[in-house]
Amino acid sequence: MKSTATQLGAADSKRSFGWIDLILFAAVLGLLWSIAKFGSGMMVRFDATSQSLSISTDIRYIPYYAGRTLLRMWIAFGFSLIFTFSAGYAAAKNKIARSIILPFMDIMQSMPVLSFLTIFVTFFVSLFPGNMLGVECASILTVFTGQVWNMAFGFYHSMVTTPQDLHDAATCFRLSARQRFLKLEVPASMHSLIWNAMMSFGGGWFAVSASEAITVLGKNIQLPGLGSYMANAVGTGDNQAAFCAIVAMLLVILATDQLVWRPLLVWADKFKMELTESAHPPKSWFYDFLRRAYLFEWIETQVVQPTVALLDELRMKRHARRALQPARSNRIGKYIRQTIGVLLLIGLLYQVVLGVVAGYEAVYRHISLAEIAKIVGLGFITLLRVVAVTVLATLIWTPVGVWIGSRPRIAQIAQPLVQMFASFPVNMTFPLVVGLFVRYNVDMNWGCILLIAMGTQWYILFNVIAGAMAIPNDLAEAARNFGLRGWPLWRTLILPAIFPFWITGACTAAGGAWNATILAEIATWGDKTLKATGLGAYIAEVSSQAGNTGSAALICGTAVMATFVVVINKLVWRRLYKYAEHRFHLD
Amino acid sequence: METATVETPRPTATARRTIVELCHISKMFTVAGGRELKVLDDIDLAIQEGELLALLGQSGSGKSTLLRCLAGLTEPTSGRVLVYDKVHEGINPHASIVFQTFALYPWLTVQQNVEVGLMAKPLSRAEKEAAVNKAIDLIGLDNYHDAYPREISGGMRQRVGIARALVSEPQILCLDEAFSALDVLTAENLRSEVVTLWQQQATSLKSIFMVTHNIEEAVEMATRICILFPHPGRLGLVLDNHLPYPRNPNDPGFQQLMKVIHQTITMQALPDIPPEPPAISGRPVSRARSRMESIPCVPVGQILGLLSILEDNPDLVDIYDLANEIGKDFGETIALVKAAEILELVDTPKDEVRFTELGKKFIIADNDTRQKIFAEQVQKLRLFHIILAYLEVQDEIDEETVLKDISVALPYENPEKILQTMIAWGRYAGLMDYDAATNMVTRPEKPEAELEETKTE
Repeated sequence: MKSTATQLGAADSKRSFGWIDLILFAAVLGLLWSIAKFGSGMMVRFDATSQSLSISTDIRYIPYYAGRTLLRMWIAFGFSLIFTFSAGYAAAKNKIARSIILPFMDIMQSMPVLSFLTIFVTFFVSLFPGNMLGVECASILTVFTGQVWNMAFGFYHSMVTTPQDLHDAATCFRLSARQRFLKLEVPASMHSLIWNAMMSFGGGWFAVSASEAITVLGKNIQLPGLGSYMANAVGTGDNQAAFCAIVAMLLVILATDQLVWRPLLVWADKFKMELTESAHPPKSWFYDFLRRAYLFEWIETQVVQPTVALLDELRMKRHARRALQPARSNRIGKYIRQTIGVLLLIGLLYQVVLGVVAGYEAVYRHISLAEIAKIVGLGFITLLRVVAVTVLATLIWTPVGVWIGSRPRIAQIAQPLVQMFASFPVNMTFPLVVGLFVRYNVDMNWGCILLIAMGTQWYILFNVIAGAMAIPNDLAEAARNFGLRGWPLWRTLILPAIFPFWITGACTAAGGAWNATILAEIATWGDKTLKATGLGAYIAEVSSQAGNTGSAALICGTAVMATFVVVINKLVWRRLYKYAEHRFHLD
Repeated sequence: METATVETPRPTATARRTIVELCHISKMFTVAGGRELKVLDDIDLAIQEGELLALLGQSGSGKSTLLRCLAGLTEPTSGRVLVYDKVHEGINPHASIVFQTFALYPWLTVQQNVEVGLMAKPLSRAEKEAAVNKAIDLIGLDNYHDAYPREISGGMRQRVGIARALVSEPQILCLDEAFSALDVLTAENLRSEVVTLWQQQATSLKSIFMVTHNIEEAVEMATRICILFPHPGRLGLVLDNHLPYPRNPNDPGFQQLMKVIHQTITMQALPDIPPEPPAISGRPVSRARSRMESIPCVPVGQILGLLSILEDNPDLVDIYDLANEIGKDFGETIALVKAAEILELVDTPKDEVRFTELGKKFIIADNDTRQKIFAEQVQKLRLFHIILAYLEVQDEIDEETVLKDISVALPYENPEKILQTMIAWGRYAGLMDYDAATNMVTRPEKPEAELEETKTE
């Protein structure tokens, strides 16, 4: 147990800077320098008419490209955090905001991430003409849409489920809204926030590698990064470079996991609600390493605390002044805020209505009903593939997951590994697989199922492992006692127990599968392009088309895919969730 | 509302200010399904400086709700709260609460948790630190400044809660069943410390308002005891307690006060009503149950256990002794006895428990006969007629309809708890069943006729 109770009555040991702080300091400096270097690379000029910036396939450039990709991920993550806090807080506190924000996020979550890419690119390139920054912004925003919704939902959920007695204590001691947020609501949500952030961040790799090679105005633009490096390596047939790129990607994911998420998870353990120590607390060597640095304590005592105290004093003085003023001004302020809110709402609605009208007009003018029917038909074909992936992954990985989950020590190693596989952007490796397809003359209509499964099956495995680990000991012992084995054991204990977890995994996998179809149903190897019949291929094709017909078709295709996801969500997944909650809840 | 005095010397009354006064407080809650539940009914209560007021009531009597109205956490549906004789809305600045679940923030150390009590006050950092240290010192947590709540025991966590409540120098300390979650020894220790703290007047603390269901705790600590009758919550009795501190439970004055309280609660829960003339025709209605009366929410197993204990200890007659024997607190024991009484298995003259003839038959019978007797008795209860009437006509009835009928018949009870108990009793009696998948109350699986048939085959 990590005890922090001071030695009874002993004097404080004098802590001072050590060699660890030196390393940290150097590392921070290095980080700042590389951010500056990568950041400057974002604002390079480019000419739309000439050829794209060439991406070198030289292995020595890999660290630079990895850095660029990472920078995009983290900037997008920063925006995701800001959105999470604002939207989650607003939805938790305000009924009207909740009725708008939650359905909005639900729909956005169901939309294919890569459709956004084209929209963003056209918008930002017009915003920053002649500058790479526009394309960068588009890429970053695409990553944002891949990361944010899960985090925002999770934060909202934990805000709403903070224990009532802690809220009562805050009310009783008259904490202001800001104090309540910082002292109660954020710490209470911290653990789930960090878990969700870890999962969501991983979901961004897919978006970032896919968004590094785009077609704008009919021209191929490539952003410097690991994704485009890989595409180039495959395109020029440089197998060694391709292999190095994959290894680099794995290393980057591993490094982010070990240096950022694991330490954060260990730190977040202190925010868990249970008032007992957990049996298997998370461990991180990096966290232990950082704890020995005096730098953090120094910052805490010399920088953070005085600043907070100063801010508090200023606030107190402001409050004292305000207490002398008549109460009427408060009401005026409230009216002003309400009017601003209403105006903003009206403005938002107006924009939305304009957008909807414009989109409808575009579709009406360029797409015929027959075309729409064709798109819907393609959607059903893709639906079949998504179902096939889910079913196959369930059949194959459930036994494996249960096997791993029933052996805790193996599970401890396996779970983080599977998590990493789930984050790895398999679309980087698609060209290689497509090459195999070409060699062995595999029909893409079946082959793309494999491509889709490569990225999304891990969610099912991961959740089934968690479910198997969560089977209560006493139920398992009772089963053993009564001699249950084989199919009766599965039917009576294992399948019902893991059912809720399986639903989470399958729902995530299905959602990821829809996203993956855009990259999987049409893929290239060298100069050969394999195409399957499906909605993903359709969307991918029309994204690269210029002109009004193209954008209208894109809107149509995206809308159809989003509709499929939302409808299946409501009809299938929500009902299964409710059923699982009702029948299989282990309490 | 009666005021009873006990034969102990009364100190001379001095003019004392009223810190908080609750005038005609009523509180309604909306239960699931849109029904309104009246939890508090027209309560008048005043807390003066220098007193320790205990509010005694069973779980569900609304005492926590009353405390929250007093502290300003909840707005009453009707009535006013007066703070120092002025009408007040919102948080009561002179009151601080100590919670039953401690309500400590797990990510803050002891020192930081106590600081939370001062967050709204305009004090400088040095002043805050001094106040926090003083409070921690007062409550005896001196070396635990940097400990996290998960590292310290339950008793110490509650001390942190008390320190946090005291650090802002309130006039009233509100204890919301503050000792219920602690083990007996720790609770005993903490109780005497709190009383000492109040008496010493080392802080600005003038009065304490505590809600509890533990009668001994109330008599041990309070200078004035208010008993709250449940369903709906209303003030039943106010007692002055002038016993000198420290109080000894074996003291005759203490025992006398306990007896008065026991009798009051028992008389309210198990009134001695003369036997009514039997109903002329139709279904037999049990004696004194011709009105629709609520059933205590007690599982069948506990009723059977009670009968078993009574059988094993024939000289165990007093309800209070019974409570001590089975280790439950007084209110829970009363509920248990009431359940057995409603089923006519025991009789409760005054505050005693005795078997009826039927009860004696029940206790020596085998399982099948017991079920039969139980079923017969349950069918006499008018409350069960609600469900049985439906089941005569149809195979099943949905839960919502039954809940609505129950809430109309018993407006002051929680319909869901009542229904749960009814289903439990009904299942044991073989009169009804419940399908959790469809939320329907159904006829029992094997009606008795079929059972007879299979037996004769």
